[in-house]
Amino acid sequence: MNVILLLHITVLFVFPPFLLGFIGKTKAFFAGRIGPPLLQPYFDLYKLMRKASVYSLTANWIFKAAPMVSTAAILAAGILMPIASLKPPVQFWGDIILFVYLFAFARFVIVLAALDTGSSFEGMGASREATFGCLSEITLFLNLTILALLSRSLSLSGIFPGGLSSSWSLVGPVLILVVVSLFLILLVENSRIPIDDPDTHLELTMIHEVMVLDHSGVDLAYIFYGKAVKLFIFGSMVVSLIFTFKTHNLWIDTFFFILEMIGLAVLIGIVESTMARLRLNKVPYLLFSALMFSIIGFIIILARTI
Amino acid sequence: MNVWLDAILILVVILGLFIVSSIRLGTMIKIFGVQSMILGLVPFLMYAKDMEFYIILVSLAAIVLRGFIMPYFLFWAIRHVSERSEASQVIGTGATILLSGLSVVGSFLLASKLVFPVPISSDLVIPSSFSLIIMGFLLLVGRTKAISQVVGYLVLENGIFLFAILLLKKMPLLVEMGILLDLFIAAVVMGIVVSHISDEFNNMDTIQLSTLKD
Repeated sequence: MNVILLLHITVLFVFPPFLLGFIGKTKAFFAGRIGPPLLQPYFDLYKLMRKASVYSLTANWIFKAAPMVSTAAILAAGILMPIASLKPPVQFWGDIILFVYLFAFARFVIVLAALDTGSSFEGMGASREATFGCLSEITLFLNLTILALLSRSLSLSGIFPGGLSSSWSLVGPVLILVVVSLFLILLVENSRIPIDDPDTHLELTMIHEVMVLDHSGVDLAYIFYGKAVKLFIFGSMVVSLIFTFKTHNLWIDTFFFILEMIGLAVLIGIVESTMARLRLNKVPYLLFSALMFSIIGFIIILARTI
Repeated sequence: MNVWLDAILILVVILGLFIVSSIRLGTMIKIFGVQSMILGLVPFLMYAKDMEFYIILVSLAAIVLRGFIMPYFLFWAIRHVSERSEASQVIGTGATILLSGLSVVGSFLLASKLVFPVPISSDLVIPSSFSLIIMGFLLLVGRTKAISQVVGYLVLENGIFLFAILLLKKMPLLVEMGILLDLFIAAVVMGIVVSHISDEFNNMDTIQLSTLKD
Protein backbone atom coordinates (compact mmCIF):
# COMPACT_ATOMS: atom_id res chain seq x y z
CA MET A 1 0.00 0.00 0.00
CA ASN A 2 2.78 2.39 0.91
CA VAL A 3 4.61 1.61 -2.33
CA ILE A 4 1.47 2.49 -4.30
CA LEU A 5 1.08 5.73 -2.40
CA LEU A 6 4.72 6.70 -2.83
CA LEU A 7 4.72 5.85 -6.53
CA HIS A 8 1.51 7.85 -7.09
CA ILE A 9 2.86 10.90 -5.28
CA THR A 10 6.24 10.66 -6.99
CA VAL A 11 4.79 10.45 -10.48
CA LEU A 12 2.33 13.25 -9.73
CA PHE A 13 4.92 15.61 -8.25
CA VAL A 14 7.98 14.89 -10.37
CA PHE A 15 6.79 13.93 -13.84
CA PRO A 16 4.57 16.89 -14.98
CA PRO A 17 7.27 19.39 -16.13
CA PHE A 18 8.69 16.60 -18.28
CA LEU A 19 5.52 16.78 -20.42
CA LEU A 20 6.24 20.44 -21.17
CA GLY A 21 9.73 19.40 -22.23
CA PHE A 22 8.28 16.88 -24.67
CA ILE A 23 5.82 19.42 -26.08
CA GLY A 24 8.72 21.83 -26.58
CA LYS A 25 10.82 19.15 -28.29
CA THR A 26 7.97 18.25 -30.67
CA LYS A 27 7.39 21.87 -31.59
CA ALA A 28 11.12 22.35 -32.14
CA PHE A 29 11.19 19.24 -34.37
CA PHE A 30 8.38 20.65 -36.53
CA ALA A 31 10.17 23.98 -36.77
CA GLY A 32 13.39 22.22 -37.83
CA ARG A 33 15.28 23.20 -34.70
CA ILE A 34 16.98 21.10 -32.04
CA GLY A 35 15.03 22.78 -29.29
CA PRO A 36 15.65 23.08 -25.55
CA PRO A 37 16.62 19.91 -23.67
CA LEU A 38 13.85 17.73 -22.28
CA LEU A 39 14.74 18.80 -18.76
CA GLN A 40 14.50 22.51 -19.57
CA PRO A 41 11.25 23.01 -17.52
CA TYR A 42 13.09 21.70 -14.44
CA PHE A 43 15.97 24.09 -15.11
CA ASP A 44 13.47 26.92 -15.47
CA LEU A 45 11.83 25.99 -12.19
CA TYR A 46 15.24 25.84 -10.48
CA LYS A 47 16.17 29.23 -11.92
CA LEU A 48 12.90 30.81 -10.80
CA MET A 49 13.17 29.27 -7.33
CA ARG A 50 16.49 31.02 -6.71
CA LYS A 51 15.16 34.44 -7.69
CA ALA A 52 13.57 36.97 -5.38
CA SER A 53 10.00 38.17 -5.97
CA VAL A 54 9.08 41.72 -6.87
CA TYR A 55 5.71 42.95 -5.64
CA SER A 56 3.62 45.83 -6.89
CA LEU A 57 2.90 48.57 -4.34
CA THR A 58 -0.86 48.08 -4.63
CA ALA A 59 -0.70 44.32 -4.11
CA ASN A 60 -1.55 42.87 -0.72
CA TRP A 61 -1.42 39.38 0.78
CA ILE A 62 -3.87 37.90 -1.75
CA PHE A 63 -1.36 38.46 -4.50
CA LYS A 64 1.38 36.77 -2.49
CA ALA A 65 -0.75 33.82 -1.37
CA ALA A 66 -2.47 33.08 -4.70
CA PRO A 67 0.34 31.13 -6.46
CA MET A 68 0.83 28.83 -3.51
CA VAL A 69 -2.88 28.32 -2.93
CA SER A 70 -3.66 27.59 -6.56
CA THR A 71 -0.76 25.13 -6.88
CA ALA A 72 -1.85 23.44 -3.66
CA ALA A 73 -5.42 23.15 -4.98
CA ILE A 74 -4.21 21.61 -8.23
CA LEU A 75 -1.99 19.14 -6.38
CA ALA A 76 -4.93 18.25 -4.14
CA ALA A 77 -6.99 17.52 -7.23
CA GLY A 78 -4.12 15.34 -8.46
CA ILE A 79 -4.23 13.33 -5.25
CA LEU A 80 -7.86 12.40 -6.03
CA MET A 81 -6.94 11.23 -9.53
CA PRO A 82 -5.92 7.61 -10.08
CA ILE A 83 -2.76 7.25 -12.16
CA ALA A 84 -2.29 4.06 -14.21
CA SER A 85 -3.55 1.27 -11.92
CA LEU A 86 -2.43 3.11 -8.79
CA LYS A 87 -5.24 3.82 -6.38
CA PRO A 88 -5.28 7.48 -5.39
CA PRO A 89 -4.23 8.33 -1.80
CA VAL A 90 -7.59 10.00 -1.13
CA GLN A 91 -10.89 8.69 -2.43
CA PHE A 92 -14.49 8.96 -1.32
CA TRP A 93 -17.99 8.86 -2.75
CA GLY A 94 -18.63 11.97 -4.85
CA ASP A 95 -15.05 13.18 -5.12
CA ILE A 96 -15.54 14.15 -8.80
CA ILE A 97 -17.34 17.27 -7.58
CA LEU A 98 -14.44 18.22 -5.32
CA PHE A 99 -12.08 17.43 -8.21
CA VAL A 100 -13.79 19.89 -10.58
CA TYR A 101 -14.16 22.59 -7.95
CA LEU A 102 -10.53 22.37 -6.85
CA PHE A 103 -9.63 23.43 -10.39
CA ALA A 104 -12.26 26.16 -10.24
CA PHE A 105 -10.79 27.31 -6.91
CA ALA A 106 -7.26 27.38 -8.35
CA ARG A 107 -8.52 29.53 -11.21
CA PHE A 108 -10.46 31.77 -8.81
CA VAL A 109 -7.46 32.66 -6.66
CA ILE A 110 -5.29 33.37 -9.72
CA VAL A 111 -8.03 35.64 -11.09
CA LEU A 112 -8.23 37.40 -7.71
CA ALA A 113 -4.46 37.89 -7.68
CA ALA A 114 -4.60 39.30 -11.20
CA LEU A 115 -7.24 41.80 -10.13
CA ASP A 116 -5.22 42.60 -7.01
CA THR A 117 -2.28 43.99 -8.98
CA GLY A 118 -4.38 47.02 -9.86
CA SER A 119 -3.32 46.87 -13.50
CA SER A 120 -6.20 47.00 -15.96
CA PHE A 121 -4.17 44.83 -18.31
CA GLU A 122 -4.24 41.91 -15.89
CA GLY A 123 -7.90 42.53 -15.22
CA MET A 124 -8.50 41.97 -18.94
CA GLY A 125 -6.73 38.62 -18.78
CA ALA A 126 -8.69 37.71 -15.66
CA SER A 127 -11.95 38.50 -17.43
CA ARG A 128 -11.01 36.28 -20.38
CA GLU A 129 -9.93 33.44 -18.13
CA ALA A 130 -13.17 33.63 -16.14
CA THR A 131 -15.28 33.69 -19.33
CA PHE A 132 -13.65 30.64 -20.88
CA GLY A 133 -13.45 28.97 -17.50
CA CYS A 134 -17.19 28.94 -16.96
CA LEU A 135 -17.70 27.39 -20.39
CA SER A 136 -15.07 24.70 -19.90
CA GLU A 137 -16.18 23.84 -16.37
CA ILE A 138 -19.70 22.85 -17.44
CA THR A 139 -18.25 20.71 -20.22
CA LEU A 140 -15.87 18.99 -17.83
CA PHE A 141 -18.78 18.33 -15.47
CA LEU A 142 -20.96 16.87 -18.22
CA ASN A 143 -18.14 14.59 -19.34
CA LEU A 144 -17.55 13.37 -15.81
CA THR A 145 -21.30 12.81 -15.45
CA ILE A 146 -21.29 10.63 -18.57
CA LEU A 147 -18.39 8.61 -17.20
CA ALA A 148 -20.05 8.34 -13.80
CA LEU A 149 -23.26 7.07 -15.42
CA LEU A 150 -21.30 4.52 -17.45
CA SER A 151 -19.18 3.19 -14.63
CA ARG A 152 -21.94 3.51 -12.01
CA SER A 153 -19.53 5.23 -9.67
CA LEU A 154 -19.32 8.78 -8.37
CA SER A 155 -15.68 8.49 -7.43
CA LEU A 156 -12.72 9.09 -9.72
CA SER A 157 -11.07 5.89 -8.53
CA GLY A 158 -14.19 3.98 -9.58
CA ILE A 159 -14.29 5.61 -13.01
CA PHE A 160 -10.76 5.57 -14.23
CA PRO A 161 -8.71 2.46 -13.57
CA GLY A 162 -11.18 -0.18 -14.72
CA GLY A 163 -14.75 1.08 -14.53
CA LEU A 164 -14.96 1.72 -18.25
CA SER A 165 -13.23 -1.30 -19.75
CA SER A 166 -16.52 -2.94 -20.76
CA SER A 167 -18.07 0.32 -22.02
CA TRP A 168 -15.88 0.61 -25.11
CA SER A 169 -17.56 -2.31 -26.86
CA LEU A 170 -21.05 -1.10 -25.89
CA VAL A 171 -20.97 2.67 -26.25
CA GLY A 172 -17.62 3.23 -27.94
CA PRO A 173 -18.87 6.13 -30.08
CA VAL A 174 -20.01 8.03 -27.01
CA LEU A 175 -16.65 7.48 -25.34
CA ILE A 176 -14.95 8.85 -28.47
CA LEU A 177 -17.11 11.97 -28.11
CA VAL A 178 -16.06 12.25 -24.48
CA VAL A 179 -12.38 11.82 -25.37
CA VAL A 180 -12.55 14.51 -28.07
CA SER A 181 -14.42 16.84 -25.74
CA LEU A 182 -11.95 16.25 -22.90
CA PHE A 183 -9.03 16.84 -25.25
CA LEU A 184 -10.50 20.20 -26.29
CA ILE A 185 -11.04 21.05 -22.63
CA LEU A 186 -7.42 20.08 -21.95
CA LEU A 187 -6.29 22.55 -24.61
CA VAL A 188 -8.52 25.29 -23.18
CA GLU A 189 -7.71 24.74 -19.52
CA ASN A 190 -3.99 24.63 -20.06
CA SER A 191 -4.00 27.52 -22.52
CA ARG A 192 -2.43 25.54 -25.36
CA ILE A 193 -2.30 26.82 -28.89
CA PRO A 194 -5.65 26.84 -30.69
CA ILE A 195 -6.95 28.87 -27.74
CA ASP A 196 -4.00 30.65 -26.22
CA ASP A 197 -0.31 30.69 -27.03
CA PRO A 198 1.78 29.95 -23.93
CA ASP A 199 4.88 31.47 -25.55
CA THR A 200 3.68 34.84 -26.74
CA HIS A 201 3.52 38.05 -24.78
CA LEU A 202 1.26 39.97 -27.13
CA GLU A 203 -1.39 41.86 -25.26
CA LEU A 204 -4.13 41.20 -27.79
CA THR A 205 -3.92 37.43 -27.65
CA MET A 206 -2.94 36.29 -24.20
CA ILE A 207 -5.33 34.77 -21.74
CA HIS A 208 -3.46 32.95 -19.02
CA GLU A 209 -0.10 34.61 -19.52
CA VAL A 210 -1.45 38.11 -19.07
CA MET A 211 -2.80 37.24 -15.63
CA VAL A 212 0.52 36.07 -14.28
CA LEU A 213 2.57 38.87 -15.80
CA ASP A 214 3.22 40.55 -12.45
CA HIS A 215 4.34 37.41 -10.69
CA SER A 216 8.05 36.81 -10.44
CA GLY A 217 10.58 34.54 -8.80
CA VAL A 218 9.22 31.80 -6.57
CA ASP A 219 5.61 32.85 -7.22
CA LEU A 220 6.07 32.39 -10.96
CA ALA A 221 7.73 29.04 -10.31
CA TYR A 222 4.65 27.93 -8.36
CA ILE A 223 2.33 29.01 -11.16
CA PHE A 224 4.50 27.37 -13.81
CA TYR A 225 4.65 24.15 -11.83
CA GLY A 226 0.90 24.24 -11.10
CA LYS A 227 0.17 24.59 -14.80
CA ALA A 228 2.36 21.58 -15.58
CA VAL A 229 0.56 19.49 -12.96
CA LYS A 230 -2.81 20.61 -14.35
CA LEU A 231 -1.77 19.51 -17.83
CA PHE A 232 -0.64 16.20 -16.36
CA ILE A 233 -3.96 15.60 -14.58
CA PHE A 234 -6.10 16.46 -17.60
CA GLY A 235 -3.80 14.39 -19.79
CA SER A 236 -4.04 11.43 -17.45
CA MET A 237 -7.84 11.67 -17.68
CA VAL A 238 -7.72 11.45 -21.48
CA VAL A 239 -5.09 8.71 -21.43
CA SER A 240 -6.87 6.52 -18.89
CA LEU A 241 -10.06 6.83 -20.94
CA ILE A 242 -8.37 5.60 -24.11
CA PHE A 243 -6.16 2.87 -22.68
CA THR A 244 -8.35 0.85 -20.36
CA PHE A 245 -6.26 -2.31 -20.59
CA LYS A 246 -4.18 -2.93 -17.49
CA THR A 247 -1.69 -5.69 -16.69
CA HIS A 248 -2.22 -5.22 -12.92
CA ASN A 249 1.52 -5.16 -12.41
CA LEU A 250 2.30 -1.90 -10.64
CA TRP A 251 5.58 -1.06 -12.35
CA ILE A 252 4.65 -2.15 -15.87
CA ASP A 253 1.37 -0.23 -15.70
CA THR A 254 3.09 2.91 -14.48
CA PHE A 255 5.75 2.58 -17.15
CA PHE A 256 3.15 2.24 -19.91
CA PHE A 257 1.15 5.10 -18.42
CA ILE A 258 4.19 7.38 -18.63
CA LEU A 259 4.77 6.27 -22.22
CA GLU A 260 1.12 7.09 -23.03
CA MET A 261 1.44 10.49 -21.40
CA ILE A 262 4.53 11.19 -23.50
CA GLY A 263 2.51 10.16 -26.56
CA LEU A 264 -0.18 12.64 -25.54
CA ALA A 265 2.44 15.38 -25.08
CA VAL A 266 3.72 14.67 -28.59
CA LEU A 267 0.14 14.85 -29.87
CA ILE A 268 -0.34 18.24 -28.19
CA GLY A 269 2.94 19.36 -29.73
CA ILE A 270 1.73 18.25 -33.17
CA VAL A 271 -1.56 20.13 -32.69
CA GLU A 272 0.36 23.21 -31.62
CA SER A 273 2.73 23.03 -34.58
CA THR A 274 0.11 22.42 -37.25
CA MET A 275 -2.65 24.75 -36.10
CA ALA A 276 -2.78 28.51 -35.91
CA ARG A 277 -4.12 30.18 -32.82
CA LEU A 278 -7.82 30.97 -33.09
CA ARG A 279 -8.98 34.54 -33.05
CA LEU A 280 -10.15 35.41 -29.57
CA ASN A 281 -13.80 35.82 -30.56
CA LYS A 282 -13.75 32.36 -32.19
CA VAL A 283 -12.63 30.60 -28.99
CA PRO A 284 -16.17 30.37 -27.52
CA TYR A 285 -17.26 28.48 -30.66
CA LEU A 286 -14.63 25.84 -29.97
CA LEU A 287 -15.84 25.63 -26.40
CA PHE A 288 -19.44 25.42 -27.61
CA SER A 289 -18.52 22.51 -29.86
CA ALA A 290 -16.78 20.75 -26.98
CA LEU A 291 -19.95 21.33 -24.95
CA MET A 292 -22.12 20.01 -27.78
CA PHE A 293 -19.98 16.86 -28.05
CA SER A 294 -20.57 16.11 -24.39
CA ILE A 295 -24.27 17.06 -24.57
CA ILE A 296 -24.83 14.64 -27.45
CA GLY A 297 -22.94 11.94 -25.57
CA PHE A 298 -24.88 12.67 -22.40
CA ILE A 299 -28.25 12.48 -24.18
CA ILE A 300 -27.35 9.17 -25.82
CA ILE A 301 -26.25 7.69 -22.50
CA LEU A 302 -29.43 8.94 -20.84
CA ALA A 303 -31.58 7.42 -23.60
CA ARG A 304 -29.72 4.12 -23.32
CA THR A 305 -29.52 3.67 -19.58
CA ILE A 306 -32.84 5.07 -18.37
CA MET B 1 -21.91 -4.00 -35.95
CA ASN B 2 -24.43 -1.97 -34.00
CA VAL B 3 -21.57 0.04 -32.53
CA TRP B 4 -20.43 0.90 -36.05
CA LEU B 5 -23.94 2.05 -36.97
CA ASP B 6 -24.01 4.19 -33.81
CA ALA B 7 -20.60 5.62 -34.64
CA ILE B 8 -21.72 6.53 -38.15
CA LEU B 9 -24.92 8.15 -36.94
CA ILE B 10 -23.11 10.20 -34.30
CA LEU B 11 -20.52 11.20 -36.90
CA VAL B 12 -23.30 12.34 -39.23
CA VAL B 13 -24.84 14.51 -36.51
CA ILE B 14 -21.43 15.97 -35.59
CA LEU B 15 -20.77 16.77 -39.24
CA GLY B 16 -24.17 18.46 -39.35
CA LEU B 17 -23.03 20.54 -36.39
CA PHE B 18 -19.89 21.48 -38.31
CA ILE B 19 -21.91 22.51 -41.36
CA VAL B 20 -24.16 24.66 -39.21
CA SER B 21 -21.21 26.29 -37.45
CA SER B 22 -19.03 26.97 -40.48
CA ILE B 23 -19.24 30.24 -42.34
CA ARG B 24 -17.23 29.47 -45.47
CA LEU B 25 -19.42 28.17 -48.28
CA GLY B 26 -16.69 25.86 -49.65
CA THR B 27 -16.21 24.20 -46.25
CA MET B 28 -19.95 23.76 -45.83
CA ILE B 29 -20.26 22.05 -49.21
CA LYS B 30 -17.26 19.79 -48.59
CA ILE B 31 -18.52 18.69 -45.19
CA PHE B 32 -21.96 18.14 -46.71
CA GLY B 33 -20.38 15.83 -49.33
CA VAL B 34 -18.59 13.82 -46.65
CA GLN B 35 -21.75 13.64 -44.56
CA SER B 36 -23.78 12.34 -47.49
CA MET B 37 -21.19 9.71 -48.35
CA ILE B 38 -21.18 8.49 -44.75
CA LEU B 39 -25.00 8.49 -44.76
CA GLY B 40 -24.90 6.34 -47.88
CA LEU B 41 -23.18 3.64 -45.81
CA VAL B 42 -26.07 3.43 -43.34
CA PRO B 43 -28.25 1.03 -45.43
CA PHE B 44 -25.28 -1.35 -45.78
CA LEU B 45 -24.89 -1.52 -42.02
CA MET B 46 -28.59 -1.54 -41.23
CA TYR B 47 -29.50 -4.32 -43.63
CA ALA B 48 -26.20 -6.22 -43.47
CA LYS B 49 -27.95 -9.52 -42.66
CA ASP B 50 -30.45 -9.55 -45.54
CA MET B 51 -28.78 -7.52 -48.25
CA GLU B 52 -30.65 -7.19 -51.51
CA PHE B 53 -29.83 -5.69 -54.85
CA TYR B 54 -32.10 -2.66 -54.61
CA ILE B 55 -30.65 -1.68 -51.23
CA ILE B 56 -27.19 -1.51 -52.78
CA LEU B 57 -28.70 0.49 -55.62
CA VAL B 58 -30.32 3.01 -53.27
CA SER B 59 -27.12 3.43 -51.27
CA LEU B 60 -24.98 3.86 -54.35
CA ALA B 61 -27.46 6.35 -55.82
CA ALA B 62 -27.39 8.35 -52.58
CA ILE B 63 -23.59 8.27 -52.34
CA VAL B 64 -22.97 9.27 -55.95
CA LEU B 65 -25.74 11.84 -56.18
CA ARG B 66 -25.30 13.57 -52.82
CA GLY B 67 -21.67 12.86 -52.19
CA PHE B 68 -20.28 13.82 -55.59
CA ILE B 69 -22.73 15.36 -58.03
CA MET B 70 -24.42 17.82 -55.66
CA PRO B 71 -21.15 19.19 -54.19
CA TYR B 72 -19.77 19.50 -57.74
CA PHE B 73 -22.86 21.43 -58.78
CA LEU B 74 -22.68 23.65 -55.69
CA PHE B 75 -18.99 24.39 -56.26
CA TRP B 76 -19.89 25.32 -59.82
CA ALA B 77 -22.54 27.67 -58.42
CA ILE B 78 -19.99 29.26 -56.05
CA ARG B 79 -17.59 29.86 -58.91
CA HIS B 80 -20.43 31.20 -61.03
CA VAL B 81 -21.48 33.84 -58.53
CA SER B 82 -18.01 34.17 -56.94
CA GLU B 83 -19.17 34.05 -53.34
CA ARG B 84 -16.86 32.74 -50.65
CA SER B 85 -18.41 33.18 -47.27
CA GLU B 86 -21.58 33.99 -45.44
CA ALA B 87 -21.19 37.66 -44.56
CA SER B 88 -24.42 38.42 -42.74
CA GLN B 89 -26.12 35.74 -40.72
CA VAL B 90 -29.50 36.27 -39.15
CA ILE B 91 -28.59 33.92 -36.28
CA GLY B 92 -24.99 34.17 -35.03
CA THR B 93 -22.57 31.25 -35.05
CA GLY B 94 -22.58 30.66 -31.30
CA ALA B 95 -26.37 30.78 -31.11
CA THR B 96 -26.63 28.40 -34.07
CA ILE B 97 -24.33 25.86 -32.39
CA LEU B 98 -26.30 26.05 -29.15
CA LEU B 99 -29.63 25.80 -31.00
CA SER B 100 -28.49 22.73 -32.91
CA GLY B 101 -27.38 21.18 -29.62
CA LEU B 102 -30.84 21.87 -28.26
CA SER B 103 -32.29 20.35 -31.42
CA VAL B 104 -30.40 17.13 -30.71
CA VAL B 105 -31.86 17.06 -27.20
CA GLY B 106 -35.33 17.81 -28.59
CA SER B 107 -35.05 15.07 -31.19
CA PHE B 108 -34.26 12.51 -28.54
CA LEU B 109 -37.27 13.63 -26.52
CA LEU B 110 -39.46 13.52 -29.61
CA ALA B 111 -38.15 10.13 -30.72
CA SER B 112 -38.81 8.61 -27.31
CA LYS B 113 -42.50 9.50 -27.76
CA LEU B 114 -42.81 7.89 -31.20
CA VAL B 115 -43.73 4.27 -31.73
CA PHE B 116 -42.36 2.91 -34.97
CA PRO B 117 -44.19 0.00 -36.64
CA VAL B 118 -41.12 -1.86 -37.95
CA PRO B 119 -38.26 -2.94 -35.66
CA ILE B 120 -35.32 -0.49 -35.75
CA SER B 121 -31.74 -1.70 -35.64
CA SER B 122 -30.50 1.27 -33.64
CA ASP B 123 -32.34 3.68 -31.36
CA LEU B 124 -30.20 6.53 -32.68
CA VAL B 125 -31.60 6.51 -36.23
CA ILE B 126 -34.76 8.52 -35.61
CA PRO B 127 -33.20 11.11 -33.26
CA SER B 128 -30.32 11.77 -35.62
CA SER B 129 -32.65 12.10 -38.61
CA PHE B 130 -34.77 14.60 -36.65
CA SER B 131 -31.72 16.59 -35.60
CA LEU B 132 -30.47 16.72 -39.20
CA ILE B 133 -33.88 18.00 -40.29
CA ILE B 134 -33.84 20.72 -37.62
CA MET B 135 -30.25 21.68 -38.47
CA GLY B 136 -31.32 22.03 -42.10
CA PHE B 137 -34.15 24.30 -41.00
CA LEU B 138 -31.71 26.33 -38.90
CA LEU B 139 -29.54 26.86 -41.96
CA LEU B 140 -32.56 27.80 -44.07
CA VAL B 141 -33.74 30.33 -41.50
CA GLY B 142 -30.45 31.61 -40.18
CA ARG B 143 -28.49 32.25 -43.36
CA THR B 144 -29.06 34.86 -45.99
CA LYS B 145 -26.93 33.62 -48.88
CA ALA B 146 -28.82 31.43 -51.33
CA ILE B 147 -26.01 28.84 -51.47
CA SER B 148 -26.04 28.26 -47.72
CA GLN B 149 -29.81 27.90 -47.93
CA VAL B 150 -29.37 25.26 -50.63
CA VAL B 151 -26.93 23.43 -48.34
CA GLY B 152 -29.48 23.77 -45.54
CA TYR B 153 -32.14 22.26 -47.77
CA LEU B 154 -29.82 19.39 -48.65
CA VAL B 155 -28.97 18.72 -45.00
CA LEU B 156 -32.72 18.61 -44.35
CA GLU B 157 -33.01 16.15 -47.25
CA ASN B 158 -30.26 14.04 -45.67
CA GLY B 159 -32.34 13.85 -42.52
CA ILE B 160 -35.38 12.76 -44.49
CA PHE B 161 -33.26 10.18 -46.32
CA LEU B 162 -32.05 8.78 -43.01
CA PHE B 163 -35.65 8.44 -41.88
CA ALA B 164 -36.65 6.89 -45.20
CA ILE B 165 -33.96 4.21 -44.89
CA LEU B 166 -36.09 2.71 -42.12
CA LEU B 167 -38.88 2.20 -44.65
CA LEU B 168 -36.55 0.79 -47.28
CA LYS B 169 -37.83 -2.77 -46.88
CA LYS B 170 -41.50 -1.81 -47.04
CA MET B 171 -41.51 0.52 -50.00
CA PRO B 172 -38.11 0.62 -51.68
CA LEU B 173 -39.16 2.25 -54.93
CA LEU B 174 -40.92 5.11 -53.15
CA VAL B 175 -37.81 5.88 -51.13
CA GLU B 176 -35.65 5.78 -54.22
CA MET B 177 -38.00 8.03 -56.15
CA GLY B 178 -38.16 10.39 -53.18
CA ILE B 179 -34.38 10.73 -53.10
CA LEU B 180 -34.04 11.46 -56.78
CA LEU B 181 -37.06 13.71 -57.13
CA ASP B 182 -36.40 15.86 -54.08
CA LEU B 183 -32.80 16.34 -55.01
CA PHE B 184 -33.46 17.37 -58.54
CA ILE B 185 -36.23 19.73 -57.57
CA ALA B 186 -33.87 21.26 -55.03
CA ALA B 187 -31.05 21.52 -57.52
CA VAL B 188 -33.10 22.96 -60.33
CA VAL B 189 -35.15 25.39 -58.26
CA MET B 190 -32.20 26.61 -56.26
CA GLY B 191 -30.00 26.81 -59.35
CA ILE B 192 -32.53 29.05 -61.04
CA VAL B 193 -32.98 31.14 -57.89
CA VAL B 194 -29.24 31.52 -57.34
CA SER B 195 -28.43 32.57 -60.85
CA HIS B 196 -31.41 34.92 -61.05
CA ILE B 197 -30.62 36.63 -57.79
CA SER B 198 -27.02 37.07 -58.78
CA ASP B 199 -27.97 38.37 -62.22
CA GLU B 200 -30.36 40.92 -60.79
CA PHE B 201 -28.47 42.18 -57.79
CA ASN B 202 -24.85 41.12 -58.36
CA ASN B 203 -24.92 39.08 -55.17
CA MET B 204 -26.85 36.21 -53.67
CA ASP B 205 -28.31 37.86 -50.61
CA THR B 206 -31.90 36.64 -50.29
CA ILE B 207 -32.72 39.48 -47.90
CA GLN B 208 -32.95 41.69 -50.96
CA LEU B 209 -35.85 39.61 -52.27
CA SER B 210 -38.06 40.84 -49.46
CA THR B 211 -37.55 44.45 -50.46
CA LEU B 212 -38.90 43.87 -53.99
CA LYS B 213 -41.85 46.01 -55.04
CA ASP B 214 -44.01 45.68 -58.10
